Amino acid sequence: MRENVLFVIYGTVFGVVLSRSGAADYDFIQGMFLFTNLQLYGILAVAVTLTAIGLQVLRRVGRTATGEAIVIKPKTPSRGNVVGGVLFGIGWSITGMCPGPVLVNIGEGKLYALAAFAGVLTGAYLVGWFHEPLRRRLGLA
Amino acid sequence: MLILNDLPAIHWSVAGAGVAAITLLLLWTTNRRFGISTVYESFCSLVSRLPYFQRSELQGRGRWRLPFAGGLVLGGVLSAVLGGGWRPTWDLGMFDAVIGWGPAGKVAWMFAGGVLIGLGTRIADGCTSGHGIFGLANFERASLVSVLSFMLAGIVATHVVYRAIF
Repeated sequence: MRENVLFVIYGTVFGVVLSRSGAADYDFIQGMFLFTNLQLYGILAVAVTLTAIGLQVLRRVGRTATGEAIVIKPKTPSRGNVVGGVLFGIGWSITGMCPGPVLVNIGEGKLYALAAFAGVLTGAYLVGWFHEPLRRRLGLA
Repeated sequence: MLILNDLPAIHWSVAGAGVAAITLLLLWTTNRRFGISTVYESFCSLVSRLPYFQRSELQGRGRWRLPFAGGLVLGGVLSAVLGGGWRPTWDLGMFDAVIGWGPAGKVAWMFAGGVLIGLGTRIADGCTSGHGIFGLANFERASLVSVLSFMLAGIVATHVVYRAIF
């Protein structure tokens, strides 16, 4: 329960950062893909660099704040990384939103984000429905 | 300038540091690997009986993304309220200037794009957060391949839409 409060707080702070940085803004995303606005590349570069350093530190510490052993499960490579990556990239371009910003845009009052939300749910549901053939063909985990 | 109330964007280094801070705090205080797109499976798991949505990763400790997603919506509301006021809007920046479709067209456009996001992130096993931030920072091959794939596809798609079609 106490953890749930933390998740809401983290989500809220993250949502404000996405909202005010351009990461949840249609024009900033198109500018990133057209190379006319480099803001998002800057955000990604700083975020990945600082996270990489932080992960090294946390690995060395080995324990969470509450004393649990830190567990990091790497993702399993598959042909789905390319196939899914391409589909997601086209969707990101069309909507100007990735999965987090869909929710942030709904909060901001952007009505079309509700349609994007319904779309993402539909796509995710379709994968659940066709998971067995997809897993066999693409070697998904 | 953001579409949201024409606000100026915060500096990219501040935003990047904020993203890293949340990613690391999430791991350090709750032992969870950052990644958002799986939350759409969590939503499905609330209503669907399909075995894929009832698997163990989505239950128990795996349900953390639901309150996090609630926070994301709340963060959007807060950002608008504190930045000039919240109001429902159809404003879509350069889409309005160049393509110019009304609400019905936008709903169809966004729904179609959303379906691709849902399919793609589930098939690739992650999105900008799980692959792009955490996976790259953790030097994972699956994430490097995924990020190169979605960035390249996004670059091509936006060029086709704004440089070729419209």
